[in-house]
Amino acid sequence: MSGASAVPETAASDAGLPGLPVASGRETVREVWRLSHGYRLRLAATGVLGIVSTGVDLIVPGAIGFLVDRVQAGTADLATVLTVTVVMALSAVLGAAGTALTIVLATRVYHAILAALREQLVGHAMTLPQHLVERAGTGDLISRSSDDVTAVADAAPAVIPVLTVTAFTIVVSLGGLAALEWPYAAAFAVVLPVYVLAVRWYLRIGPGVYRTERTAMSARAQQILESQRGYATVLGFGLAERRHRAVMTDSWRVAGQSLRARTVLSMLNARLNLGECLSLAAVLVVGFVLIDHNASTVGGATTAMLLVLRLLGPVNQLLLVIDTLQSALASVSRMIGVVTIPFSASDVPARAASTAVQLDEVSFRYGEGPRVLDDITLDIPSGQRVAVVGVSGAGKTTLAGVVAGTHLPEAGKVTRPSRTAMITQEVHVFAGTLRDNLTLAAPGATDRDLHAALEATGAASILDVLPDRLDTLLGVGGHPLTDAQAQQLALARLLLTDADLVILDEATAEAGSTYAGQLDRAADAVLAGRTAVVVAHRLSQAATCDRIMVMEHGRIIETGTHGELVDAGGVYAGLWTAWEAAQ
Amino acid sequence: MRNSSRFSGADTAGLGRGPLTRWLPVLLLAPAEPVGARPFESGPGITPGRFLLRVIFSVRRASVPAMLLAIVWQVGESAVPVVMGLAIDRALATGDAGQLVLWLGVLVALYAALTSAARLSLRLTAFAVQVLQHRLRGTLSTAVLHPVGGTARAPDGSVVSVMTNDVARLSNAVILTIIPVSRITAIGFIAASLLATHWLLGLVVLFGAPVAVWSMGVLSERLSRDTREYQELLASTVGQATDLVAGYRVIKGMRAEAEATSRYRQASQETLVGARRNAGLLGRFLVGSGVVSGTFVAAVMGLAGWFAVDGQLSIGGLITAVGLAQALLPQIQAIASTSIPNLAGARASSARVLDVLRDNATSTAGPDDATRREVTALPELDVVVPSVSGPGVTIRVEPGELVGVRAGDRTAARLVEALLDPRAEGGVEARLDGIAARELSPVEYRSRVTVAPHRATLFSGTLRDNVAVIAGAPERVDAAVRAAACDDFAADLDVPVGEGGNRLSGGQRQRVALARALASDAPVLVLHDPTTAVDSVTEHTIAGRLYGVRAGRSTLLIASTPALLAACDRVVELPDDVPAPSRTAR
Repeated sequence: MSGASAVPETAASDAGLPGLPVASGRETVREVWRLSHGYRLRLAATGVLGIVSTGVDLIVPGAIGFLVDRVQAGTADLATVLTVTVVMALSAVLGAAGTALTIVLATRVYHAILAALREQLVGHAMTLPQHLVERAGTGDLISRSSDDVTAVADAAPAVIPVLTVTAFTIVVSLGGLAALEWPYAAAFAVVLPVYVLAVRWYLRIGPGVYRTERTAMSARAQQILESQRGYATVLGFGLAERRHRAVMTDSWRVAGQSLRARTVLSMLNARLNLGECLSLAAVLVVGFVLIDHNASTVGGATTAMLLVLRLLGPVNQLLLVIDTLQSALASVSRMIGVVTIPFSASDVPARAASTAVQLDEVSFRYGEGPRVLDDITLDIPSGQRVAVVGVSGAGKTTLAGVVAGTHLPEAGKVTRPSRTAMITQEVHVFAGTLRDNLTLAAPGATDRDLHAALEATGAASILDVLPDRLDTLLGVGGHPLTDAQAQQLALARLLLTDADLVILDEATAEAGSTYAGQLDRAADAVLAGRTAVVVAHRLSQAATCDRIMVMEHGRIIETGTHGELVDAGGVYAGLWTAWEAAQ
Repeated sequence: MRNSSRFSGADTAGLGRGPLTRWLPVLLLAPAEPVGARPFESGPGITPGRFLLRVIFSVRRASVPAMLLAIVWQVGESAVPVVMGLAIDRALATGDAGQLVLWLGVLVALYAALTSAARLSLRLTAFAVQVLQHRLRGTLSTAVLHPVGGTARAPDGSVVSVMTNDVARLSNAVILTIIPVSRITAIGFIAASLLATHWLLGLVVLFGAPVAVWSMGVLSERLSRDTREYQELLASTVGQATDLVAGYRVIKGMRAEAEATSRYRQASQETLVGARRNAGLLGRFLVGSGVVSGTFVAAVMGLAGWFAVDGQLSIGGLITAVGLAQALLPQIQAIASTSIPNLAGARASSARVLDVLRDNATSTAGPDDATRREVTALPELDVVVPSVSGPGVTIRVEPGELVGVRAGDRTAARLVEALLDPRAEGGVEARLDGIAARELSPVEYRSRVTVAPHRATLFSGTLRDNVAVIAGAPERVDAAVRAAACDDFAADLDVPVGEGGNRLSGGQRQRVALARALASDAPVLVLHDPTTAVDSVTEHTIAGRLYGVRAGRSTLLIASTPALLAACDRVVELPDDVPAPSRTAR
């Protein structure tokens, strides 16, 4: 996974990457509405059920008020008490059942929509033209498909009851209060500004504080991860003490931010308490005046008190999840931002049916940077194997990217076969079995095909060291592979794609010492009978190609067979002499 | 009011406080310097349960006051309906304005007390949790992630999640010594108040509440177990997305987009099934707890109603009983749905933390002072490599020499492993000035020998942070950067390299790692295949500069590239038949 988001050498000095787009509020709403297609009837039914259940739940305080008034009037008997008790129990049970059902239904729809969204996100990310993603960096994409998906899923238990039951409870309770004893509702409205101010204060301070806390947390996780991945480096350089201090400094920074966040929460809590206290005091004062004027009864005041007590819980809940709700919404708009990236057909590089490659006056630059490829014209006939050599920064990797379609040329035209495959020195072993890793490129391949491909690339010996052979779990958390084995695996996978054009970008470079020759032979097997572009730094590999192109400053300065170039006595001849002398 | 200010410019704590309150000190914000992070002990006799207890009772200075304040807070919350009931009875039913003022005063005083207690308690609790997290992380960091005398076997990736998630969960367990205690006290208070109103009501609550907590705890147990399963499912789906996106270029290179997407969809749908099942269980829990608590409270209210009809209870008593019964609900629900699952989660995390501590425990059986021996500042290095077929080979590096070793990958790896961890039983033995390296203290050994492994890791920070990782003179850094041929991209050393160096290409990363090794100025430096991702022209340049930059110090270069080996004083060839180590490979 290391280097997953490495940028090509020449772009490395580019400062901040532009990042992927984030959907606007309106786009988010529109897209969520589109995704809810097929669930809308269910959602409407859920809403009705939620309102009815919270209504049923409110029978309890009413029943109590009724009982208090009857007792006070001396008209209550055992039958009254029994009836009221049964009504209370029934309404509590029915209300709980209805509320539970509402939450279950809403949760299911929520997760179904989230699943659809995350699948579209990954699917869309995979089909996006690669240069768009490269420009933004894969790190951003990773964080949207992991952190944001988790944030939205984790928000469900907090957000759904609020969106369904809590909101209804507030509305219905206030409604009930207004219907039964409207002056109490009016008193509650007087307290409203306290809540409004509390929310405004919280929204001004809270999200920033939580964001800082989360940033500090991911910095801390990154430090720990780097120490784990770089364990050998830490040990070899004796960096233990130093790295320990770095981790602990970041750990304490998180502690500081977390304490700040909890402090803000406790301050919000205090403001909510103030609101509670004022609401209850208002009930007492209003009740006192009303009863004094015979406009209400003691039972009515009891009902109002119970209703207000019931209301306070949900109001507090609502305010406490505002932040979760906000960050979940932010995550959703970041996910939708990827799904709605427009790309027209012209962004997808055109392909030809032939198996030859043509570049016609192609130029390329990274963003606003200098030209990395300068007016390159090149013709690779079907089946020819071409080597690209030159010093670092000459533009070799960029040329490979343009040929493969990773990069869109700024000017000029590229023609290539439709079945193109490329591997770079960046190896990635996917989490899954060896079989999964191989069939990724060829879903229909049988085990016999897989064995044949491993045999052809000399990777069959890997099978013998794997405990469960093709079923061995590899990648993150699985059986570790050496770089050379991973690259052999990549070559076997490449062979399985059976592409017409194969591009190797220093694909055998990471091989340690002795395996270099073995990997070169594996590469040979993969390239046999195909049109190929090989970016090579070992000149022995270049020498076996049909044609060699030497690049310098984004131009092709020499081209010819190995013999021709050595005889010509130019740049290549110089490189070759240096290489031979070193052998 | 605090939130009415517009002048937040002077609000140094960033808490949005108004001009009236911002001068007040903010209690319990973290001190700038970490508090002493004494490691926790994890000896063999300690069970996960005991470790959990040891952890949560280790911050009593914060947790005990937090608990006492939480009791004030929770009992205060439960007293609200009592005060309201009394106010309705004494003021509203009688129409006595004096009583109204009195009870309004009581209400305000009650809120003032409970809100102050809550604020302090919440902050003390947060402080205790953070101190514990920090201490646990420190324990894991020194024992597992950064052991000074560590073995060459790296801890696996799970250490990252243990050091973040499990440490957080285990530290949160300290809340169990604070909140549930206060809630149980509040339930006791409610029962006592009801006892005062009518003895039978009190008894019903005293016996009923534990039953209600227990039955709801049973219900929530199943739900929280399933929730953990579902969260693992979600984590694996998210992990798969991360994995696919990390392998984005490989997938694009293979044109495997459709297959990758369909695999992700499959995992996503499995997670959705899990989410549906989890929602169903949540529903069952909600219905169950609603039925238990609803009928319980209805029964208490009905009983109070009957006593009122019967004349055993005044109207005020009835209202108070009703309010108390209502206050009982949230306490029962919170214990059942939060505290019980938290305890289970904390126990599981405690076991995982202990496992990691024990799996990676470095043997403390180092040399004691009696056997400690001194080596010279620039010692002579011998590496004794056994062989199956012959007597074995001893590689000697005289002080100041640059010695090349050509070896097969497996032998090279064994050599590096032995030099990284001289105490490993790998068959290969390192000696400094003739003294076996395993006899030396890890600190002394590492002060002489620096090993730059082949798979080099860069750390987040600037190029300079990475190259000058062991504080050295600036001119050494410049010389190292030049010798490693980084001049083409490292003109400005203050450029960040990105996470794990991901802003650099593979070749650039390898050259920065080489520069780091050369800048370390180690008396003895071991390099393993330092230029495999570097093109031949640049490799040639590096080979030419290597000798000069290491002049006067010893270097052991394990490589197969002729360009580099040509620069060495001499080259030792190793056969690829080192006997297998006696230690079982993991």
